[in-house]
Amino acid sequence: MSQRNFHPLTILGTREEIGGMAKTVMFDVPDALRETFAWRAGQHLSFRFLINGEEQRRSYSISSSPFTGDPLRITVKRVKGGVVSNHINDTGQKGDVIDVMPPFGSFCLDPGENTRRTHYFFGAGSGITPLYAMLSSVMAAEPNSFAHLAYGNNNEKSVLLLDELNTVWETNPERMSIHHVFSKPGFWSSADYWRKGIVDKPVIEALIAENPPYAQDAQYYVCGPGGMNAAVKAVLMSLDVPAGRIHMESYGGVGEVDTSVEGIAATASVTLGGKQHVVDIAKGQTVLEAAKVAGLKPPFSCQSGVCGACRATLADGTVHMLARMALEDRDISKGAILTCQSLATSEKLTVKYD
Amino acid sequence: MTRKLHLLPVEAYTSRDWFDREMRDIFSKTWRYAGFMEDVSEPGQYITVQAGLNNIFIVMGRDRRLRAFHNICRHRGTQLIRAVGKTQKALTCPYHDWTYDLEGNLISIPEEEEEFGKVDKSCLGLKPARVDIWKSMIFVHPDPDAPSIAEWFGPVEPHIGPHVPEELVEYEDLNTSYEIKANWKIVVENYIDVYHLSHLHSSTLQMYDHKAGKFHWEGPHYMFWEPPVDAFLKDQESKLIAPRVIPKDMNGAWVPMLFPGIGLAGSEEGWNIFIIEPLGPELTRVSNRGRVSNSSGWEFTKQSMKSSMFWTKFGLSGKYEAHDAMSEDDPMVAGDFTGEDIYACEQQQKSLKSPYFETGPAAVGESQVVEHQRVILEWLGDDE
Ligand code: FES
Ligand code: FES
Ligand SMILES: [Fe+2]
Repeated sequence: MSQRNFHPLTILGTREEIGGMAKTVMFDVPDALRETFAWRAGQHLSFRFLINGEEQRRSYSISSSPFTGDPLRITVKRVKGGVVSNHINDTGQKGDVIDVMPPFGSFCLDPGENTRRTHYFFGAGSGITPLYAMLSSVMAAEPNSFAHLAYGNNNEKSVLLLDELNTVWETNPERMSIHHVFSKPGFWSSADYWRKGIVDKPVIEALIAENPPYAQDAQYYVCGPGGMNAAVKAVLMSLDVPAGRIHMESYGGVGEVDTSVEGIAATASVTLGGKQHVVDIAKGQTVLEAAKVAGLKPPFSCQSGVCGACRATLADGTVHMLARMALEDRDISKGAILTCQSLATSEKLTVKYD
Repeated sequence: MTRKLHLLPVEAYTSRDWFDREMRDIFSKTWRYAGFMEDVSEPGQYITVQAGLNNIFIVMGRDRRLRAFHNICRHRGTQLIRAVGKTQKALTCPYHDWTYDLEGNLISIPEEEEEFGKVDKSCLGLKPARVDIWKSMIFVHPDPDAPSIAEWFGPVEPHIGPHVPEELVEYEDLNTSYEIKANWKIVVENYIDVYHLSHLHSSTLQMYDHKAGKFHWEGPHYMFWEPPVDAFLKDQESKLIAPRVIPKDMNGAWVPMLFPGIGLAGSEEGWNIFIIEPLGPELTRVSNRGRVSNSSGWEFTKQSMKSSMFWTKFGLSGKYEAHDAMSEDDPMVAGDFTGEDIYACEQQQKSLKSPYFETGPAAVGESQVVEHQRVILEWLGDDE
């Protein structure tokens, strides 16, 4: 179970980004935890903080590639009124010890030495963090492939990881391109940007028309706030892109919530840490809530269906998931559920945390 | 005793049985050249290609990605689309009008209810093939799960010259195609035969130093490079007939033969392809296309004017003297090396039928011919 437990990690160093509006936090992973904390480009980490006496859990995408020798790190942008993001930005510093759950998530790009693909990345704001990890992994470990990024921001002052993006681009000018899209470019700005506006249909069409796939195995990755993911996906599908080639991570937003089903009271056999427990689920209660009420310590983080930390396998019975952003159709067909989103729809359930 | 051409029996070059096995075990199981990337460059555009036993079509979607499918209607197998063309969103079979979208999904069946009741269309999509672009060429593989083209051609990349064909432009005059009355292996063997260069082509390819040529194999692919002779190298800028396309320290002729039958030929002035397609046991099609520097017409004119002096004196001419010509266009007199090669291939093929045919020893410069025969045996699964 160490994969879903919190481990204390020491901050190796921090770096202020975009004039103090964001912070990159690097972690020191001790040798004993190397394997546990090995990550795939695009995955995220879950954190547990005690702020003003209250436990807070959040997930942040890892903003470095596992193939470049960079340390494990996250880049956190301040959210107005955000308890955790501001806490990290205000206080996080070298030497601090933080509780971290090992890398998680299926929004991933696994580079291959002989794999030959064209990767298109569509991001906005902090959505760049997993995309940067993916892009730099392709450049470092997938030498036959190409990558193109459209990155939306207000203006040049809000572009996260700009120096690093420019560095990979300068190192690989033949294999990749970066296209900045600014919604409010400053008049005085001399910074180069590609287009004014947001990452919408004209922008997506122009990106692909100007950079048609050279390697024909094309893949599309989207990570942005609010409704951006769904909008980009709709545009891509209108351009004949098959759904199986589109990969998305909702950032901040929760995605669709399906409240059409109420759920029923049920009894669940829950296997956790190799032990089996009997848990009563009340009508309308999620499997995760029920397990916590029963005194178990199941893994969880966001509790909104985004991070996947609460994932388990449903071996028997049926559930209804309110939200399921963290799972791909493939996972679900293999029985994966998000316990924080699952309402029982059969009287008996068998749930196994792996 | 079976009569052999080095390692292979004569039947390997003449029989339908060998031809069928090669179609099945070699040309249906390797990446096949389908065209230049410019051939399918607009959404809806498509081309078809024969890859061994498979007829495959390649079409571009609005996402500008190529898809390849076996050109067989899932109803009764009618060929779905012809040669080249352009479609909007759908492909309709001419026989009973079953219609597929650009992802290969079956989207409509005329009179479905009356004729079939309910049909599960999701199981009747077109069978996909694999497609990719490499060195500006479109390639297909009949197997959608075949190893990537990077895996197949990756090992040859460091050895085939510094040309960047994507940055060169097609030169239409180089687009030619002709049939040779010989087995496809005779044509390959001719292409990779180093020994013949200074003999058959003694007066047509003498600007390169054949004796200094270097060759080796990368798996089933043959690599070859030879440097320019001093007379051509000295003040070479004034002798190139078209603007230079490679750096001087990488000069020379880069002439690999990739497997099966995919010849490339790069030089200081351009980059060409030589695609060998077996049509029958004793009939082969060769398709040539080429690219040159993306310079203005004026640059080309200047370069060709500058160089014409040298070439007049250097003297390209025929193998045989004009008074020995058998006809007005005798290839052995014309001074064109392609004509010389076709002539040699066809003459060799003819002799295979003679009961008196017997091969002599293989020269050092012919060891590659024997090696290619070994590769063929390996792919047909009967290496001795
Ligand atoms: S706790 Fe994050 S998805 Fe359930
Ligand atoms: S064979 Fe194609 S529709 Fe009948
Ligand atoms: Fe020749």
